[in-house]
Amino acid sequence: MPATTQAPTPTMYKYDAFDHAFVRDRNKEFAGQVARRLAGEITEDQFKPLRLMNGLYLQLHAYMLRIAVPYGVLSSKQMRKFAHIARTYDRDFGHFTTRQNLQFNWIKLADAPKILEELAEVEMHALQTSGNCIRNTTTDQFAGAARDEVADPRPWAEVIRQWSSNHPEFTFLPRKFKIAITGATKDRAAIRVHDIGLHLKPSGFDVYVGGGMGRTPHVAPVIKRDLNPEQLLSYLEACLRVYNRYGRRDNIYKARIKILVSALGAEEYGRQVEEEWSRLDKAKVDAPAAEVNRIKSFFPDPAFVDGFDSAAFERARTADAGFARWVKNNTNPHKRDNHVSVTISLKPTGLPPGDASSAQMDVMADVADAYGYGELRVSHEQNIILPHVAKNDLYTLYEKLDAAGLGTANAGKITDMIACPGLDYCSLANARSIPLAQDISQRFEDAKLTDQIGDLQIKISGCINACGHHHVGHIGILGVDKQGIEFYQILLGGRADEKAALGQITGKGLSAEAVPAAIERVVRLYLDLRTSETERFIDTLERVGRDAFAEALHEHA
Amino acid sequence: MKLLTANRLTDGLTLWYSGSGWVEDAAEATKLSDDDADALLIEWKLRETEVVAPYLIPLTDTGNPVQREHVREFVRANGPTIGQTTDAVAKEHGRTAIFEE
Ligand code: SF4
Repeated sequence: MPATTQAPTPTMYKYDAFDHAFVRDRNKEFAGQVARRLAGEITEDQFKPLRLMNGLYLQLHAYMLRIAVPYGVLSSKQMRKFAHIARTYDRDFGHFTTRQNLQFNWIKLADAPKILEELAEVEMHALQTSGNCIRNTTTDQFAGAARDEVADPRPWAEVIRQWSSNHPEFTFLPRKFKIAITGATKDRAAIRVHDIGLHLKPSGFDVYVGGGMGRTPHVAPVIKRDLNPEQLLSYLEACLRVYNRYGRRDNIYKARIKILVSALGAEEYGRQVEEEWSRLDKAKVDAPAAEVNRIKSFFPDPAFVDGFDSAAFERARTADAGFARWVKNNTNPHKRDNHVSVTISLKPTGLPPGDASSAQMDVMADVADAYGYGELRVSHEQNIILPHVAKNDLYTLYEKLDAAGLGTANAGKITDMIACPGLDYCSLANARSIPLAQDISQRFEDAKLTDQIGDLQIKISGCINACGHHHVGHIGILGVDKQGIEFYQILLGGRADEKAALGQITGKGLSAEAVPAAIERVVRLYLDLRTSETERFIDTLERVGRDAFAEALHEHA
Repeated sequence: MKLLTANRLTDGLTLWYSGSGWVEDAAEATKLSDDDADALLIEWKLRETEVVAPYLIPLTDTGNPVQREHVREFVRANGPTIGQTTDAVAKEHGRTAIFEE
């Protein structure tokens, strides 16, 4: 198959002079704070909020730096910078998170200012990745590429990023605040389990408010339909103002907007938002049409190559079963018939979900340049996406990825698990997540079995904070601490898509050793119960009910 | 008996109090009497340019952390259990993991 030579021209927002100056100033300020802390001129109590504002946490074993990847969009240049940072300042790997960000787990405090300086060179930073502010807006990893997309959410995510960056009124909210946005018919951004979820349709935005996971999970109700996109910011401002005024600052467990919306009821909250909105000087808040158009101009289609040699493609598929399987599982329909979006799985058997070595990051940057118009995405499922790949390049791409350990053909399958860092890194954890994911992936290593099972999402969190989205896993796993021993509660029936639902705890807690076998029993029961190969696990579960599966969880092997 | 642990300010790495100072290898940590441990904690809380977040780990008679803290302290003492750094410290020092899992 002829390889396509492409100029790497990622379509993404570029910093203007203001952005550059802002990030440079903040970095300079932080470098001064670090120097003062090291010199003993400020205490840890004074310094801690300052380092957190710059994405630097102190975890179980070391400092962790969380870098914002705005709405998960990355250029090959930025990915290469991550590789460089991993190699130079960390232990040669990084961890992609469910907020489409990147975390480095072994950062030295003294190196942090230098790292931030290096990030600024490629228009990146770690601001607003911590604290009670508006965090990174997440979106569909196939934005601007998916065949089922109605409108591209990226310009709107950028509009929100600019509005929410350093917003004076919303820097100290009652709690952190997360927004997700999709413009496709299929919700791949889990919008209904976010503080605000936005669904962009031809008629405008449907606005969902008060979703979330954690201690008290809620699926967000819709509070407004068909919002004129031109009024997005003023409406969001009204939503945030009502929350900022009435959100429970007295109790950290009740401070998220979901508690307020559920206490008031969606209707009353919506009414208060309308009232606030009517009082707002909208012209002052909403982005002027010219500005929205300017932002939209950063997201044109790349210069798509033409043509598709279907005979050569079919020959490669027939000759290489591994390639055929990878194409089936890891590509998503593209708006151009001769292109696809590719999921690079960061879930090889037995390795930590979401981790990539510096060498792998370099490979991903190189293939993005050669076959993906220089652009990559981070998905909330902790994989890397090449949004636009010409079908003519697929086989060469696959071979290169596979040679780098990046050719696992399991996107959306049982081994494509989400797992938070858990007790191996996180100081808030009750139990380990990653080793459990590793055990489960080894148990379901058999490719045939994986394909037979089909789409099934397992999501693992090491504590109730739910960074691993366990509430919305078809099978969710929550780590709990029972007097110093790790236990895992199993939730069944959650889903994060357009039919969002919360999984329910099913059966008693299990030990780490017992979990993989229990999941296998549940899965085997599903294979027995399903009416056809197209009935997915979640469909069978919803048809027969959770009780049918509860027993399987606890059967003795 | 108790152990005193903290993170080093400059690089955040986990440290253990060995009697004569701080070490990176948990196996070299000194088991301190409760009184000594409490006094040392007060002292080191003030020495903020050297360590961050010092705290005490109470031990049972068998030398393991008390049950409620067991897994957390096991992982903290032995490093992540997941491959990239598994038992790195133990291997470096030619010994098995500390604290029974
Ligand atoms: S869910 Fe809990 S353990 Fe996992 S990363 Fe979040 S806070 Fe840490």
